[in-house]
Amino acid sequence: MSERSDEIVAFIQERCLWQFFSRAWDREENIQGIIDILGQIIKGEHITLETPSDRCLYADAKILAGQIKERSPWISQVTAEQLDDTLATVKARLTEITITKSQNIELRVAGY
Amino acid sequence: MPLKLLKCDELIPEREKHVYVKAAGEDTTQFLPLSNVSTIPGTLSERGCSYCGAKLVIGGVLKDTIQMIHGPVGCAYDTWHTKRYPSDNDNFQLKYVWSTDLKEKHIVFGGEKQLKTSMLEAFKAMPDLKRMFLYTTCATALIGDDPKAVAKAVEEELGDVDIFVVQCPGFAGVSQSKGHHVLNMAWLNEKVGTLEPTITSKYTMNFIGDYNIQGDTYVLEKYFHDMGIQIVAHFTGNATYDDMRGMHRAQLNVVNCARSAGYIANELKKRYDIPRLDIDTWGFTYMAEGLRKVGAFYGLEAEAEKVIEAEYAKYGEQLAFYKKALTGKRMCIWTGGPRLWHWTKAVEDDLGVEVVAMSSKFGHQEDFEKVIARGREGTIYIDDGNELEFFEVIAEVKPDIIYTGPRVGELVKKLHIPYINGHAYHNGPYMGFEGFINMARDMYNAVSSPLMQLAKTDIRETEGK
Repeated sequence: MSERSDEIVAFIQERCLWQFFSRAWDREENIQGIIDILGQIIKGEHITLETPSDRCLYADAKILAGQIKERSPWISQVTAEQLDDTLATVKARLTEITITKSQNIELRVAGY
Repeated sequence: MPLKLLKCDELIPEREKHVYVKAAGEDTTQFLPLSNVSTIPGTLSERGCSYCGAKLVIGGVLKDTIQMIHGPVGCAYDTWHTKRYPSDNDNFQLKYVWSTDLKEKHIVFGGEKQLKTSMLEAFKAMPDLKRMFLYTTCATALIGDDPKAVAKAVEEELGDVDIFVVQCPGFAGVSQSKGHHVLNMAWLNEKVGTLEPTITSKYTMNFIGDYNIQGDTYVLEKYFHDMGIQIVAHFTGNATYDDMRGMHRAQLNVVNCARSAGYIANELKKRYDIPRLDIDTWGFTYMAEGLRKVGAFYGLEAEAEKVIEAEYAKYGEQLAFYKKALTGKRMCIWTGGPRLWHWTKAVEDDLGVEVVAMSSKFGHQEDFEKVIARGREGTIYIDDGNELEFFEVIAEVKPDIIYTGPRVGELVKKLHIPYINGHAYHNGPYMGFEGFINMARDMYNAVSSPLMQLAKTDIRETEGK
Protein backbone atom coordinates (compact mmCIF):
# COMPACT_ATOMS: atom_id res chain seq x y z
CA MET A 1 0.00 0.00 0.00
CA SER A 2 2.67 2.47 1.05
CA GLU A 3 4.81 1.65 -1.97
CA ARG A 4 1.85 2.17 -4.27
CA SER A 5 0.92 5.53 -2.80
CA ASP A 6 4.58 6.59 -2.73
CA GLU A 7 4.85 5.80 -6.43
CA ILE A 8 1.84 7.99 -7.25
CA VAL A 9 2.95 10.81 -4.95
CA ALA A 10 6.42 10.81 -6.53
CA PHE A 11 4.90 11.06 -10.00
CA ILE A 12 2.49 13.84 -9.03
CA GLN A 13 5.26 15.79 -7.29
CA GLU A 14 7.37 15.66 -10.42
CA ARG A 15 4.60 16.32 -12.90
CA CYS A 16 1.67 18.36 -11.64
CA LEU A 17 1.48 22.12 -11.19
CA TRP A 18 -1.95 22.11 -9.51
CA GLN A 19 -0.46 20.97 -6.18
CA PHE A 20 1.62 24.17 -6.09
CA PHE A 21 -1.02 26.85 -6.56
CA SER A 22 -0.66 30.16 -4.73
CA ARG A 23 -2.30 29.61 -1.38
CA ALA A 24 -3.24 26.81 1.04
CA TRP A 25 -6.94 27.04 0.10
CA ASP A 26 -6.46 26.48 -3.63
CA ARG A 27 -3.90 23.70 -3.12
CA GLU A 28 -6.37 21.97 -0.81
CA GLU A 29 -9.20 22.41 -3.31
CA ASN A 30 -7.09 20.91 -6.10
CA ILE A 31 -5.74 17.97 -4.11
CA GLN A 32 -9.20 16.98 -2.88
CA GLY A 33 -11.00 17.61 -6.17
CA ILE A 34 -8.51 16.12 -8.60
CA ILE A 35 -7.72 12.99 -6.59
CA ASP A 36 -11.45 12.32 -6.08
CA ILE A 37 -12.11 12.54 -9.82
CA LEU A 38 -8.96 10.51 -10.53
CA GLY A 39 -10.44 7.67 -8.46
CA GLN A 40 -13.76 7.92 -10.28
CA ILE A 41 -12.06 7.80 -13.68
CA ILE A 42 -9.94 4.77 -12.78
CA LYS A 43 -12.99 2.95 -11.41
CA GLY A 44 -14.93 3.82 -14.56
CA GLU A 45 -17.66 5.59 -12.62
CA HIS A 46 -20.05 8.13 -14.10
CA ILE A 47 -18.75 11.63 -13.42
CA THR A 48 -21.06 14.60 -13.06
CA LEU A 49 -19.46 17.92 -13.94
CA GLU A 50 -21.79 20.68 -12.84
CA THR A 51 -19.62 23.78 -12.67
CA PRO A 52 -16.72 25.25 -14.67
CA SER A 53 -14.47 24.44 -11.69
CA ASP A 54 -15.56 20.79 -11.85
CA ARG A 55 -14.60 20.68 -15.53
CA CYS A 56 -11.23 22.19 -14.77
CA LEU A 57 -10.50 19.63 -12.05
CA TYR A 58 -11.64 16.93 -14.46
CA ALA A 59 -9.22 18.17 -17.15
CA ASP A 60 -6.25 17.73 -14.81
CA ALA A 61 -7.55 14.42 -13.41
CA LYS A 62 -8.21 12.94 -16.85
CA ILE A 63 -4.67 13.51 -18.10
CA LEU A 64 -3.21 12.31 -14.81
CA ALA A 65 -5.33 9.13 -14.93
CA GLY A 66 -3.95 8.30 -18.38
CA GLN A 67 -0.38 8.87 -17.25
CA ILE A 68 -0.75 6.81 -14.07
CA LYS A 69 -2.43 3.92 -15.88
CA GLU A 70 0.47 3.84 -18.31
CA ARG A 71 3.23 4.08 -15.68
CA SER A 72 1.60 2.03 -12.93
CA PRO A 73 -0.53 -0.64 -14.62
CA TRP A 74 -1.34 -2.21 -11.24
CA ILE A 75 -3.75 0.65 -10.64
CA SER A 76 -6.33 -0.89 -12.96
CA GLN A 77 -6.02 -4.28 -11.24
CA VAL A 78 -6.68 -3.31 -7.60
CA THR A 79 -10.11 -3.47 -5.96
CA ALA A 80 -12.17 -0.34 -5.44
CA GLU A 81 -11.45 -0.42 -1.70
CA GLN A 82 -7.72 -0.77 -2.28
CA LEU A 83 -7.79 2.10 -4.73
CA ASP A 84 -9.73 4.30 -2.30
CA ASP A 85 -7.24 3.53 0.46
CA THR A 86 -4.26 4.23 -1.79
CA LEU A 87 -5.68 7.53 -3.00
CA ALA A 88 -6.60 8.58 0.54
CA THR A 89 -2.94 8.08 1.47
CA VAL A 90 -1.88 10.04 -1.64
CA LYS A 91 -4.15 12.92 -0.63
CA ALA A 92 -2.82 12.93 2.92
CA ARG A 93 0.81 12.88 1.82
CA LEU A 94 0.36 15.62 -0.81
CA THR A 95 -1.46 17.75 1.75
CA GLU A 96 1.43 17.27 4.13
CA ILE A 97 4.14 18.13 1.59
CA THR A 98 2.46 21.07 -0.07
CA ILE A 99 0.34 22.52 2.75
CA THR A 100 0.64 21.46 6.37
CA LYS A 101 4.39 20.91 6.43
CA SER A 102 5.27 23.26 3.59
CA GLN A 103 7.93 25.83 4.43
CA ASN A 104 6.42 28.27 1.92
CA ILE A 105 5.64 31.30 4.05
CA GLU A 106 3.27 32.81 1.48
CA LEU A 107 0.77 29.97 1.67
CA ARG A 108 -1.30 31.52 4.42
CA VAL A 109 -1.04 35.17 3.45
CA ALA A 110 -4.64 36.35 3.42
CA GLY A 111 -4.37 38.87 0.59
CA TYR A 112 -1.79 39.23 -2.10
CA MET B 1 22.54 17.09 1.50
CA PRO B 2 20.90 20.14 3.09
CA LEU B 3 21.48 23.80 2.44
CA LYS B 4 25.01 24.54 1.35
CA LEU B 5 27.49 27.29 2.16
CA LEU B 6 29.65 27.81 -0.89
CA LYS B 7 33.32 28.58 -0.31
CA CYS B 8 33.02 32.06 -1.80
CA ASP B 9 30.26 32.87 0.69
CA GLU B 10 32.28 32.24 3.82
CA LEU B 11 32.24 35.96 4.62
CA ILE B 12 28.48 36.20 4.03
CA PRO B 13 27.29 33.02 5.77
CA GLU B 14 23.64 34.11 5.46
CA ARG B 15 23.88 32.90 1.86
CA GLU B 16 23.76 29.31 3.07
CA LYS B 17 19.98 29.63 3.41
CA HIS B 18 19.73 30.40 -0.32
CA VAL B 19 21.62 27.41 -1.76
CA TYR B 20 20.32 23.84 -1.74
CA VAL B 21 21.62 20.58 -3.18
CA LYS B 22 18.94 17.94 -3.64
CA ALA B 23 19.61 14.51 -2.16
CA ALA B 24 17.77 11.21 -2.48
CA GLY B 25 14.73 10.88 -0.25
CA GLU B 26 14.46 14.59 0.52
CA ASP B 27 11.46 16.78 -0.16
CA THR B 28 10.63 20.46 0.24
CA THR B 29 9.21 20.02 3.75
CA GLN B 30 12.78 19.46 4.91
CA PHE B 31 14.69 22.08 2.93
CA LEU B 32 13.41 25.05 0.97
CA PRO B 33 15.81 27.87 0.08
CA LEU B 34 14.94 31.35 1.30
CA SER B 35 13.76 33.55 -1.53
CA ASN B 36 12.02 36.87 -2.25
CA VAL B 37 13.94 38.47 0.58
CA SER B 38 16.28 41.47 0.45
CA THR B 39 19.62 40.89 -1.18
CA ILE B 40 22.28 40.49 1.51
CA PRO B 41 24.81 43.34 1.66
CA GLY B 42 28.10 42.11 0.26
CA THR B 43 26.57 39.88 -2.39
CA LEU B 44 26.51 41.16 -5.95
CA SER B 45 22.96 40.46 -7.02
CA GLU B 46 21.91 40.47 -10.65
CA ARG B 47 18.31 41.32 -9.82
CA GLY B 48 16.39 44.10 -11.51
CA CYS B 49 14.30 46.78 -9.79
CA SER B 50 10.59 46.61 -9.11
CA TYR B 51 9.68 49.31 -11.61
CA CYS B 52 11.54 47.33 -14.27
CA GLY B 53 9.45 44.26 -13.43
CA ALA B 54 6.28 46.21 -14.09
CA LYS B 55 7.36 48.10 -17.20
CA LEU B 56 9.86 45.95 -19.05
CA VAL B 57 8.30 42.57 -18.39
CA ILE B 58 4.55 43.09 -18.41
CA GLY B 59 3.19 46.53 -19.29
CA GLY B 60 5.67 47.38 -22.03
CA VAL B 61 4.52 44.41 -24.10
CA LEU B 62 1.19 46.03 -25.00
CA LYS B 63 1.05 46.98 -28.64
CA ASP B 64 -1.27 49.98 -28.63
CA THR B 65 -0.37 51.84 -25.49
CA ILE B 66 1.77 54.86 -24.67
CA GLN B 67 4.14 53.87 -21.88
CA MET B 68 4.77 57.13 -20.05
CA ILE B 69 7.62 56.87 -17.58
CA HIS B 70 7.62 59.60 -14.98
CA GLY B 71 11.24 59.93 -13.97
CA PRO B 72 14.76 60.62 -15.21
CA VAL B 73 15.35 59.54 -18.78
CA GLY B 74 17.50 56.55 -17.84
CA CYS B 75 14.53 54.74 -16.32
CA ALA B 76 12.89 54.89 -19.74
CA TYR B 77 15.87 53.95 -21.86
CA ASP B 78 16.94 51.05 -19.66
CA THR B 79 13.55 49.39 -19.86
CA TRP B 80 13.08 49.85 -23.57
CA HIS B 81 13.73 47.31 -26.35
CA THR B 82 16.08 45.16 -24.28
CA LYS B 83 13.48 42.42 -24.34
CA ARG B 84 12.36 41.20 -27.73
CA TYR B 85 8.59 40.99 -27.75
CA PRO B 86 7.24 41.75 -31.21
CA SER B 87 3.65 42.53 -32.16
CA ASP B 88 1.51 42.10 -35.24
CA ASN B 89 1.23 45.86 -35.80
CA ASP B 90 4.79 46.27 -37.00
CA ASN B 91 6.28 46.14 -33.51
CA PHE B 92 4.95 49.54 -32.46
CA GLN B 93 5.95 49.10 -28.81
CA LEU B 94 9.56 48.36 -29.68
CA LYS B 95 9.96 51.54 -31.70
CA TYR B 96 9.02 54.20 -29.20
CA VAL B 97 9.86 55.23 -25.68
CA TRP B 98 8.29 57.98 -23.62
CA SER B 99 9.66 59.80 -20.60
CA THR B 100 8.94 62.94 -18.62
CA ASP B 101 12.73 63.44 -18.56
CA LEU B 102 12.89 64.77 -15.02
CA LYS B 103 15.67 67.12 -14.06
CA GLU B 104 16.93 68.50 -10.77
CA LYS B 105 14.52 71.48 -10.84
CA HIS B 106 11.55 69.05 -10.96
CA ILE B 107 12.92 67.15 -8.00
CA VAL B 108 13.17 70.43 -6.08
CA PHE B 109 9.89 72.05 -7.18
CA GLY B 110 7.78 68.98 -8.07
CA GLY B 111 7.25 67.09 -11.33
CA GLU B 112 3.46 67.04 -11.74
CA LYS B 113 3.32 69.98 -14.13
CA GLN B 114 5.99 68.36 -16.29
CA LEU B 115 4.09 65.08 -16.16
CA LYS B 116 0.86 66.63 -17.38
CA THR B 117 2.68 68.46 -20.17
CA SER B 118 4.39 65.24 -21.28
CA MET B 119 1.16 63.25 -21.25
CA LEU B 120 -0.72 65.82 -23.31
CA GLU B 121 2.21 66.12 -25.68
CA ALA B 122 2.35 62.33 -26.17
CA PHE B 123 -1.37 62.04 -26.93
CA LYS B 124 -1.10 65.00 -29.31
CA ALA B 125 1.91 63.55 -31.11
CA MET B 126 0.17 60.17 -31.50
CA PRO B 127 -3.47 61.08 -32.02
CA ASP B 128 -4.50 57.51 -32.92
CA LEU B 129 -3.45 56.26 -29.50
CA LYS B 130 -5.99 56.62 -26.73
CA ARG B 131 -4.51 54.40 -24.07
CA MET B 132 -1.63 55.00 -21.67
CA PHE B 133 0.28 53.22 -18.91
CA LEU B 134 1.84 55.73 -16.54
CA TYR B 135 4.68 54.54 -14.30
CA THR B 136 6.19 56.18 -11.23
CA THR B 137 9.91 55.74 -10.61
CA CYS B 138 12.10 56.11 -7.52
CA ALA B 139 12.58 59.84 -8.00
CA THR B 140 8.93 60.75 -8.48
CA ALA B 141 7.72 58.45 -5.71
CA LEU B 142 10.19 60.02 -3.28
CA ILE B 143 9.18 63.61 -4.03
CA GLY B 144 5.53 62.68 -3.57
CA ASP B 145 4.11 63.43 -7.01
CA ASP B 146 0.51 62.25 -7.37
CA PRO B 147 0.31 60.56 -10.79
CA LYS B 148 -3.27 59.38 -10.28
CA ALA B 149 -4.49 62.93 -9.82
CA VAL B 150 -2.63 64.04 -12.95
CA ALA B 151 -3.99 61.06 -14.92
CA LYS B 152 -7.52 61.95 -13.87
CA ALA B 153 -7.02 65.54 -14.93
CA VAL B 154 -5.69 64.44 -18.35
CA GLU B 155 -8.58 62.00 -18.83
CA GLU B 156 -11.05 64.78 -18.05
CA GLU B 157 -9.32 67.28 -20.31
CA LEU B 158 -9.07 64.97 -23.33
CA GLY B 159 -12.30 63.05 -22.79
CA ASP B 160 -11.51 60.04 -24.99
CA VAL B 161 -8.43 58.52 -23.34
CA ASP B 162 -8.00 55.83 -20.70
CA ILE B 163 -4.96 55.82 -18.42
CA PHE B 164 -3.68 53.12 -16.07
CA VAL B 165 -1.28 54.21 -13.34
CA VAL B 166 1.38 51.79 -12.10
CA GLN B 167 2.67 52.99 -8.74
CA CYS B 168 5.68 50.78 -8.31
CA PRO B 169 8.98 52.65 -7.93
CA GLY B 170 12.22 50.72 -8.17
CA PHE B 171 12.61 50.45 -4.43
CA ALA B 172 9.08 49.08 -3.84
CA GLY B 173 10.26 45.51 -3.37
CA VAL B 174 13.30 43.26 -3.24
CA SER B 175 13.32 42.46 -6.97
CA GLN B 176 11.43 42.83 -10.24
CA SER B 177 8.83 40.38 -8.90
CA LYS B 178 7.22 43.18 -6.91
CA GLY B 179 6.61 45.06 -10.16
CA HIS B 180 4.84 42.09 -11.71
CA HIS B 181 2.76 41.85 -8.56
CA VAL B 182 1.78 45.53 -8.28
CA LEU B 183 0.88 45.86 -11.95
CA ASN B 184 -1.11 42.63 -12.07
CA MET B 185 -3.19 43.30 -8.98
CA ALA B 186 -3.82 46.95 -9.86
CA TRP B 187 -4.96 45.96 -13.35
CA LEU B 188 -7.30 43.40 -11.91
CA ASN B 189 -8.75 45.81 -9.38
CA GLU B 190 -9.02 48.86 -11.60
CA LYS B 191 -9.46 47.78 -15.21
CA VAL B 192 -10.82 44.24 -15.55
CA GLY B 193 -14.56 44.42 -16.10
CA THR B 194 -14.57 47.98 -17.46
CA LEU B 195 -15.14 46.92 -21.07
CA GLU B 196 -17.25 44.14 -22.59
CA PRO B 197 -15.31 42.07 -25.13
CA THR B 198 -16.76 40.82 -28.39
CA ILE B 199 -17.27 37.08 -28.08
CA THR B 200 -16.88 35.17 -31.34
CA SER B 201 -16.63 31.54 -30.22
CA LYS B 202 -18.50 29.09 -28.03
CA TYR B 203 -15.16 28.44 -26.32
CA THR B 204 -13.24 31.28 -24.70
CA MET B 205 -10.12 31.60 -22.55
CA ASN B 206 -7.61 34.03 -21.13
CA PHE B 207 -3.98 33.07 -21.50
CA ILE B 208 -2.09 34.55 -18.54
CA GLY B 209 1.68 34.82 -18.30
CA ASP B 210 3.18 34.79 -21.79
CA TYR B 211 4.80 37.94 -23.12
CA ASN B 212 5.37 37.04 -26.77
CA ILE B 213 9.14 36.71 -26.50
CA GLN B 214 10.26 36.46 -30.14
CA GLY B 215 6.77 35.34 -31.12
CA ASP B 216 5.82 32.77 -28.45
CA THR B 217 2.28 34.13 -28.43
CA TYR B 218 1.79 33.55 -32.15
CA VAL B 219 2.79 29.90 -31.75
CA LEU B 220 0.46 29.27 -28.81
CA GLU B 221 -2.49 31.17 -30.23
CA LYS B 222 -2.38 29.16 -33.45
CA TYR B 223 -2.89 25.93 -31.50
CA PHE B 224 -5.85 27.32 -29.57
CA HIS B 225 -7.42 28.93 -32.62
CA ASP B 226 -7.08 25.66 -34.52
CA MET B 227 -9.02 24.03 -31.68
CA GLY B 228 -11.76 26.65 -32.10
CA ILE B 229 -11.00 28.58 -28.92
CA GLN B 230 -11.14 32.38 -28.75
CA ILE B 231 -8.51 34.05 -26.61
CA VAL B 232 -10.29 36.97 -24.97
CA ALA B 233 -7.15 38.34 -23.33
CA HIS B 234 -3.59 37.22 -23.77
CA PHE B 235 -1.88 38.68 -20.71
CA THR B 236 0.13 40.45 -22.15
CA GLY B 237 1.74 39.03 -25.34
CA ASN B 238 0.70 40.91 -28.50
CA ALA B 239 -2.26 42.29 -26.57
CA THR B 240 -4.11 45.57 -26.63
CA TYR B 241 -5.07 47.58 -23.56
CA ASP B 242 -8.75 46.99 -24.19
CA ASP B 243 -8.33 43.22 -24.73
CA MET B 244 -7.24 42.95 -21.16
CA ARG B 245 -10.17 44.92 -19.78
CA GLY B 246 -12.44 42.10 -20.93
CA MET B 247 -10.80 39.25 -18.99
CA HIS B 248 -13.92 38.76 -16.88
CA ARG B 249 -15.80 37.21 -19.81
CA ALA B 250 -13.58 34.18 -20.50
CA GLN B 251 -14.61 30.67 -19.48
CA LEU B 252 -11.13 29.51 -18.46
CA ASN B 253 -7.85 31.05 -17.31
CA VAL B 254 -4.87 29.15 -18.64
CA VAL B 255 -1.80 30.14 -16.62
CA ASN B 256 1.76 29.69 -17.85
CA CYS B 257 3.68 31.95 -15.46
CA ALA B 258 3.88 31.97 -11.67
CA ARG B 259 2.90 33.78 -8.54
CA SER B 260 1.15 37.06 -9.41
CA ALA B 261 -0.01 35.62 -12.75
CA GLY B 262 -1.64 33.00 -10.58
CA TYR B 263 -3.06 35.71 -8.33
CA ILE B 264 -4.91 37.21 -11.29
CA ALA B 265 -6.36 33.81 -12.05
CA ASN B 266 -7.26 33.19 -8.41
CA GLU B 267 -9.10 36.48 -8.15
CA LEU B 268 -10.90 35.95 -11.45
CA LYS B 269 -12.03 32.64 -10.01
CA LYS B 270 -13.31 34.24 -6.82
CA ARG B 271 -14.97 37.22 -8.50
CA TYR B 272 -16.23 35.75 -11.77
CA ASP B 273 -16.16 31.97 -11.22
CA ILE B 274 -13.57 31.42 -13.97
CA PRO B 275 -11.43 28.35 -13.16
CA ARG B 276 -7.64 28.29 -13.33
CA LEU B 277 -5.64 25.71 -15.27
CA ASP B 278 -1.82 25.84 -15.04
CA ILE B 279 0.17 24.35 -17.92
CA ASP B 280 3.74 24.19 -19.26
CA THR B 281 4.31 25.37 -22.81
CA TRP B 282 8.02 24.65 -23.39
CA GLY B 283 8.79 21.10 -24.57
CA PHE B 284 6.92 18.59 -26.72
CA THR B 285 5.68 16.41 -23.85
CA TYR B 286 4.49 19.35 -21.76
CA MET B 287 2.88 21.21 -24.67
CA ALA B 288 0.96 18.11 -25.72
CA GLU B 289 -0.14 17.58 -22.12
CA GLY B 290 -1.27 21.22 -21.85
CA LEU B 291 -3.30 21.04 -25.05
CA ARG B 292 -4.92 17.79 -23.90
CA LYS B 293 -5.94 19.42 -20.62
CA VAL B 294 -7.43 22.41 -22.38
CA GLY B 295 -9.20 20.04 -24.78
CA ALA B 296 -10.59 18.04 -21.85
CA PHE B 297 -11.98 21.18 -20.23
CA TYR B 298 -14.04 22.15 -23.28
CA GLY B 299 -14.77 18.66 -24.60
CA LEU B 300 -12.46 19.40 -27.53
CA GLU B 301 -10.24 16.34 -27.09
CA ALA B 302 -10.32 15.38 -30.77
CA GLU B 303 -9.35 18.91 -31.81
CA ALA B 304 -6.41 18.86 -29.39
CA GLU B 305 -5.21 15.50 -30.71
CA LYS B 306 -5.39 16.83 -34.26
CA VAL B 307 -3.10 19.74 -33.40
CA ILE B 308 -0.66 17.48 -31.52
CA GLU B 309 -0.55 14.94 -34.34
CA ALA B 310 0.13 17.61 -36.95
CA GLU B 311 2.90 19.19 -34.88
CA TYR B 312 4.60 15.86 -34.16
CA ALA B 313 4.42 15.02 -37.85
CA LYS B 314 6.05 18.33 -38.69
CA TYR B 315 8.72 18.48 -35.99
CA GLY B 316 9.07 14.99 -34.46
CA GLU B 317 11.97 13.94 -36.67
CA GLN B 318 13.97 17.05 -35.83
CA LEU B 319 13.37 16.48 -32.12
CA ALA B 320 14.74 12.94 -32.44
CA PHE B 321 17.86 14.29 -34.16
CA TYR B 322 18.52 16.85 -31.44
CA LYS B 323 17.80 14.38 -28.65
CA LYS B 324 20.37 11.98 -30.08
CA ALA B 325 22.92 14.77 -30.35
CA LEU B 326 22.27 16.35 -26.95
CA THR B 327 21.69 13.38 -24.66
CA GLY B 328 24.03 13.56 -21.67
CA LYS B 329 24.90 17.25 -22.09
CA ARG B 330 25.02 19.19 -18.83
CA MET B 331 23.06 22.40 -18.58
CA CYS B 332 22.66 25.27 -16.13
CA ILE B 333 19.53 27.41 -16.03
CA TRP B 334 20.11 30.80 -14.44
CA THR B 335 17.06 32.86 -15.23
CA GLY B 336 14.24 34.67 -13.43
CA GLY B 337 12.02 32.12 -11.71
CA PRO B 338 9.45 30.09 -13.64
CA ARG B 339 11.75 28.93 -16.45
CA LEU B 340 13.66 26.80 -13.98
CA TRP B 341 10.71 24.54 -13.33
CA HIS B 342 9.24 24.85 -16.82
CA TRP B 343 12.50 23.74 -18.43
CA THR B 344 14.25 21.22 -16.19
CA LYS B 345 12.04 18.23 -17.05
CA ALA B 346 11.31 19.46 -20.56
CA VAL B 347 14.96 19.30 -21.61
CA GLU B 348 15.52 16.09 -19.66
CA ASP B 349 12.50 14.21 -21.07
CA ASP B 350 12.58 15.54 -24.61
CA LEU B 351 16.30 16.11 -25.20
CA GLY B 352 18.10 13.89 -22.69
CA VAL B 353 19.85 16.96 -21.23
CA GLU B 354 20.81 16.94 -17.53
CA VAL B 355 20.19 20.18 -15.65
CA VAL B 356 22.98 20.33 -13.07
CA ALA B 357 22.53 23.78 -11.52
CA MET B 358 19.72 26.32 -11.41
CA SER B 359 19.57 29.86 -10.08
CA SER B 360 16.57 32.15 -9.80
CA LYS B 361 16.78 35.93 -9.65
CA PHE B 362 13.35 36.71 -8.33
CA GLY B 363 11.54 33.40 -7.78
CA HIS B 364 9.51 32.89 -4.65
CA GLN B 365 9.30 29.78 -2.49
CA GLU B 366 6.45 28.57 -4.70
CA ASP B 367 8.95 28.46 -7.58
CA PHE B 368 11.48 26.54 -5.48
CA GLU B 369 8.83 24.03 -4.37
CA LYS B 370 8.10 23.34 -8.02
CA VAL B 371 11.66 23.17 -9.26
CA ILE B 372 12.98 21.01 -6.42
CA ALA B 373 10.07 18.61 -6.93
CA ARG B 374 10.85 18.40 -10.63
CA GLY B 375 14.63 18.73 -10.66
CA ARG B 376 17.34 16.09 -10.42
CA GLU B 377 19.11 14.83 -7.33
CA GLY B 378 22.59 16.31 -6.99
CA THR B 379 21.51 19.48 -8.79
CA ILE B 380 22.31 22.82 -7.11
CA TYR B 381 19.38 25.20 -6.58
CA ILE B 382 20.26 28.85 -5.84
CA ASP B 383 18.21 31.90 -4.97
CA ASP B 384 19.52 35.32 -6.10
CA GLY B 385 22.88 33.92 -7.17
CA ASN B 386 25.92 36.20 -7.22
CA GLU B 387 28.88 36.31 -9.56
CA LEU B 388 31.36 34.49 -7.33
CA GLU B 389 28.82 31.75 -6.68
CA PHE B 390 28.41 31.30 -10.42
CA PHE B 391 32.18 30.85 -10.84
CA GLU B 392 32.30 28.30 -8.04
CA VAL B 393 29.28 26.37 -9.28
CA ILE B 394 30.66 26.27 -12.82
CA ALA B 395 33.90 24.79 -11.52
CA GLU B 396 31.95 22.19 -9.57
CA VAL B 397 29.32 21.07 -12.08
CA LYS B 398 31.27 21.64 -15.33
CA PRO B 399 28.33 22.50 -17.60
CA ASP B 400 28.35 22.17 -21.38
CA ILE B 401 25.92 25.05 -21.76
CA ILE B 402 24.29 27.78 -19.69
CA TYR B 403 20.91 29.39 -20.31
CA THR B 404 20.96 32.82 -18.68
CA GLY B 405 20.68 36.54 -19.37
CA PRO B 406 23.18 38.71 -21.25
CA ARG B 407 24.75 40.06 -18.04
CA VAL B 408 25.79 36.67 -16.69
CA GLY B 409 26.18 35.44 -20.25
CA GLU B 410 29.07 37.80 -20.88
CA LEU B 411 30.77 36.51 -17.77
CA VAL B 412 30.23 32.93 -18.86
CA LYS B 413 31.65 33.61 -22.31
CA LYS B 414 34.91 34.70 -20.73
CA LEU B 415 35.16 31.22 -19.26
CA HIS B 416 34.66 29.82 -22.78
CA ILE B 417 31.39 28.14 -21.96
CA PRO B 418 28.60 28.66 -24.49
CA TYR B 419 25.59 30.54 -23.23
CA ILE B 420 22.11 31.01 -24.68
CA ASN B 421 19.91 33.98 -23.81
CA GLY B 422 17.39 32.41 -21.47
CA HIS B 423 15.29 35.56 -21.13
CA ALA B 424 14.85 36.92 -24.65
CA TYR B 425 16.17 33.79 -26.48
CA HIS B 426 18.83 33.55 -29.19
CA ASN B 427 16.65 32.42 -32.11
CA GLY B 428 13.12 32.04 -30.77
CA PRO B 429 10.26 31.56 -30.30
CA TYR B 430 10.95 28.72 -27.86
CA MET B 431 7.41 27.83 -26.80
CA GLY B 432 5.34 25.05 -28.31
CA PHE B 433 6.60 22.31 -30.61
CA GLU B 434 8.14 24.60 -33.20
CA GLY B 435 9.67 26.71 -30.46
CA PHE B 436 11.25 23.79 -28.69
CA ILE B 437 12.99 22.82 -31.91
CA ASN B 438 14.42 26.35 -32.02
CA MET B 439 15.59 25.97 -28.44
CA ALA B 440 17.18 22.60 -29.19
CA ARG B 441 18.84 23.99 -32.32
CA ASP B 442 20.34 26.89 -30.39
CA MET B 443 21.62 24.44 -27.80
CA TYR B 444 23.02 22.09 -30.44
CA ASN B 445 24.74 24.91 -32.33
CA ALA B 446 26.22 26.28 -29.12
CA VAL B 447 27.68 23.01 -27.86
CA SER B 448 28.84 21.92 -31.32
CA SER B 449 30.54 25.14 -32.34
CA PRO B 450 34.35 25.11 -32.12
CA LEU B 451 34.31 28.83 -31.36
CA MET B 452 34.66 28.61 -27.59
CA GLN B 453 37.57 26.16 -27.80
CA LEU B 454 39.31 28.30 -30.42
CA ALA B 455 38.83 31.37 -28.24
CA LYS B 456 40.91 29.74 -25.52
CA THR B 457 43.99 29.94 -27.71
CA ASP B 458 46.12 32.99 -26.99
CA ILE B 459 47.25 34.03 -30.47
CA ARG B 460 50.09 36.08 -29.02
CA GLU B 461 51.76 32.78 -28.19
CA THR B 462 51.49 31.39 -31.70
CA GLU B 463 51.91 34.55 -33.82
CA GLY B 464 55.67 34.78 -33.52
CA LYS B 465 56.29 31.11 -34.22
